[in-house]
Amino acid sequence: MKKLIMSLALALAMVVTAQAGDLVTIKGNTEGRSYHKSLYEEGCNYCHPGSPKKQVTDAACVDCHGQINDIEITKHLKMPEANPHKSVHYNQGASCLACHAEHTRKAPVCSECHRTWFDKM
Amino acid sequence: MQSRRKFLKLGAGAAIGGLAVASLPKTAAAHPSDETAWDETVDVIVIGSGFAGLSAALNAKRKKLGSILVLEKMQVIGGNSAINGGWFAVPKNPIQLSQGILDDSPEELVNDQMIAGRGMANKEILTKVANRALDAYQMCIDAGVEFRKDFNIQVGGHNKARAIRTKHGTGGDITTKLYEAGRREGVEYRLQHYIEDFVRVGDKIEGVVVRRGYRFPDQGTGELVRIKANKAVICASGGFARDMKLRAVVDPSLDPTLDCTNHLGATGEVMLSAAANGALPIHLNMIQTGHWGSPDEGGFGWSNALLSIGWHEGISVSVLSGKRYMDERTDRLTASTAIMNNRYSDGSPAYPLVFFNYNDHPDDDRVVRALRDEMAWKVDSLEQLASKFNVPLDALKKTVKEYNEHVAQGTDPDFGRKMDTAKVLKAPFVVSRIWPKVHYCMGGLKTDADGRVLDARTMSPIKNFYAAGEVTGGVHGQTRLSSCSCLETLTMGFIISEAIKANA
Repeated sequence: MKKLIMSLALALAMVVTAQAGDLVTIKGNTEGRSYHKSLYEEGCNYCHPGSPKKQVTDAACVDCHGQINDIEITKHLKMPEANPHKSVHYNQGASCLACHAEHTRKAPVCSECHRTWFDKM
Repeated sequence: MQSRRKFLKLGAGAAIGGLAVASLPKTAAAHPSDETAWDETVDVIVIGSGFAGLSAALNAKRKKLGSILVLEKMQVIGGNSAINGGWFAVPKNPIQLSQGILDDSPEELVNDQMIAGRGMANKEILTKVANRALDAYQMCIDAGVEFRKDFNIQVGGHNKARAIRTKHGTGGDITTKLYEAGRREGVEYRLQHYIEDFVRVGDKIEGVVVRRGYRFPDQGTGELVRIKANKAVICASGGFARDMKLRAVVDPSLDPTLDCTNHLGATGEVMLSAAANGALPIHLNMIQTGHWGSPDEGGFGWSNALLSIGWHEGISVSVLSGKRYMDERTDRLTASTAIMNNRYSDGSPAYPLVFFNYNDHPDDDRVVRALRDEMAWKVDSLEQLASKFNVPLDALKKTVKEYNEHVAQGTDPDFGRKMDTAKVLKAPFVVSRIWPKVHYCMGGLKTDADGRVLDARTMSPIKNFYAAGEVTGGVHGQTRLSSCSCLETLTMGFIISEAIKANA
């Protein structure tokens, strides 16, 4: 099943260039990303192995999306240097969670200083 | 002596506070010295992943000290070093030599630092650090760090051009490469690991209690685990300029309205935990402030660069009066004080303006970036300037008219400013707002010249306990010179790993 999900996700990723999508209601009060809907059919286990209360690690993201430097950004960037996936400050040393959240919109870590470069994601 | 007692008390208070808020799991709380309570054992634990932590970890690995674990509380590697300006002082660096500057030496650098330290700096440590500058430089080059070609300049307080700068003008050029080198060589790094406490048994630090899966700044996140370090715990957790409470305690003169150039995680809890376990904190009230900050951007930002034009060619006016209020080229402290006198009646900051002629610098990087990132604006007239920032127009017009006359005369009867670089002001203008920012903590944990943390009660090293970088105190004294933090942090990685090797 995991393999199937992964290949589905990968296929999806190729079509829609790896965007996790908008925030939509998944179940009850839980919101999640539209492109992750199929993952939720399995419960929370895919990202939170063992228990929904367990801390998510980057592994959950990297499994489908790949490593940070390999993920192309298709959104409009303010300028080429403002590419957070090839950041001069962090490069590989950034967790996906520094900028992305699954259940809520989040301000990327870069916007702490570069206030006009990035929107909440 | 009295302040030492005060710090010990503060440390104890912090420890009790820490225990009260934390819900320690049974294994962690009930048997602090029970070896079976460890969740994990490594050889060396490094706390923090800025220059000091990255260099210490890499050098420890290269010294074959065994398994090296770096714990970083944030979700990114690099701490404040990743966002700093990337200046690096290296006496006798190859670019300096190619410029024909052959009379520099580690001693020359130390002399400059001792002057800046105003009698409070540590010559032994500074000398040891300066003597390893080329080693640290070479470590960077070997890791693939790129510095600006043919760029080596003299920065404030130095008597020689000896500061090189990274290609992109940020320490991230160094942190990313040292991190990647460490990964290749087997250093393990973990993000979101917050140091809850140290485990001290007798005169030795045996390990740490860590909040794993911590999400800054939420203290309720993550779970507590205990990690033992066979050979060393290296504290490289950085400064505390973002810790508003601690800042106010150690230096009440630091205005609470001052923002900070540091990343959000520059809070002092690791240093306080170390103090609670006996480490001696010194010089905590010595905190460096920059008067060149902009309230319209985060961190260090572009303001400093923009004002290198503004202070010289333009003027600074109060939005309250439309008048100049200081010599724009005065020293940091005088300028900070004058700037902060600008307040509304409720005490909130009335950010003064700095403006200069747009047409003199339309393509200048400093201007282009500032306008692009909306921390400065182009205005076409004094009318537009006055209405945008709510400045009394008539007073503003009078100020500019009088100032322009002073420029023509080459004197400033109002504030005695040196007018050799001043220009007659003529719209359109580049205008920005200013307010000082807190920049660097000179104080921190007292160490010996090998980076071993001293016990406040015995003044001798606490076994297995080392510290490097901004978390340490007493190295720079009253003020640290630009480009010398990078040097100190990177070289201490060599010095500490050698000390661990010798002690192990």
